[in-house]
Amino acid sequence: MSSDFYKTSILPFAGIIIKLCRAYTNSQQDFEDYYQEVCLQIWRSKANFREESQWSTWVYRISLNVCLTLLKKKKNNVQHFVSDSITVEETEDNYAFSDESLNLLYDAIRKLSEIDRAIIMLYLEEKSQKEIAEIIGTNPNNIGVRVKRIKIRLKKILDGKIN
Amino acid sequence: MERSIENIWKEGFLKSDALVVPKINDLYNQKSIHIIDKFKRMFKINLIAIVAFSFAFLVVSFFVGIPITGIIFFVTLSVLVIINKSLLNDLEKLDMGVSSYQYLKAFNQWIKKQIAINKKISRFLYPIIFMSMILGFWFKDAEGMPLGERLVGEILYGFPDIYLVFGIPLIGIVVVVFILALLASFGGRIYKWDLNLIYGRVFKKLEELITDIESLRS
Repeated sequence: MSSDFYKTSILPFAGIIIKLCRAYTNSQQDFEDYYQEVCLQIWRSKANFREESQWSTWVYRISLNVCLTLLKKKKNNVQHFVSDSITVEETEDNYAFSDESLNLLYDAIRKLSEIDRAIIMLYLEEKSQKEIAEIIGTNPNNIGVRVKRIKIRLKKILDGKIN
Repeated sequence: MERSIENIWKEGFLKSDALVVPKINDLYNQKSIHIIDKFKRMFKINLIAIVAFSFAFLVVSFFVGIPITGIIFFVTLSVLVIINKSLLNDLEKLDMGVSSYQYLKAFNQWIKKQIAINKKISRFLYPIIFMSMILGFWFKDAEGMPLGERLVGEILYGFPDIYLVFGIPLIGIVVVVFILALLASFGGRIYKWDLNLIYGRVFKKLEELITDIESLRS
């Protein structure tokens, strides 16, 4: 990869990629693998960017699509989507933010389905319902209702844990 | 007072450790761990192996006196390679920059298409390979005459009343047809079973993701 491309086209959006990869992984090693893979796929797909959307939206699409379909080997050598079996208990100690509330929020997000994780991440990144619908490929009218449901679920999971 | 998740999110990411970018080294030369790249690699390796094997077998078949088997093998496997190469080209066209629904749907459709095509091919492939072996050995030279004819002669010597159809014992034809039917019947299933063993969970997960998004589309 050209280091210029990484510096100018990926690094400014690293925050988006990091936040998303964190929601689909539960260890530092997996997170780094996901981050690297997302960067690789952005670079490989750059010729397909047709400027119909903003670069940041396109980066979000690639990152999300990579996270949804990444295949990793688990210890028992059965191949499957890692994000499918994440539990809070499995989270490694060294894979945490210094902000305890943010850790708890991420742990709660990881308990959601893959699509709900994507929706709430986009919502928290202040994307509009229309943008969320475009990125996921769904009806914008249903996004608002789904976000409300997800927030209720997150509140239930976090109930009493954060003041 | 309880903090909203929006506030936790905003305030959490204001801290310096929250967005530390991982180090990436020599990214361009890294082997992709993505499922589509794994499929591409698996396909390429399989196709190269089939080409190498069918060509080697073609050469060997002339030396061991069963060129018919070698030629049928080579032609059949070449068709298999051409069809799968075209499937691989379709996979290369998948665009990751489209919406998740379009992307997952396109990938799922590719998987279904390649399973359907290869399942159909397997129904013919195993019987053709079996028939090529039968024909190869039937026409193999055995001291001036085809091995098949010599074998029929030996059988007629032991069982002079055996019923022949076009010079071939009926019982032999029945056995071969039965094996061909078994291979045709199980060929497709063996392929699907084999693929499901490796990627079954991925296929199931893809369906789940698509169903989840579709529930939002309705």
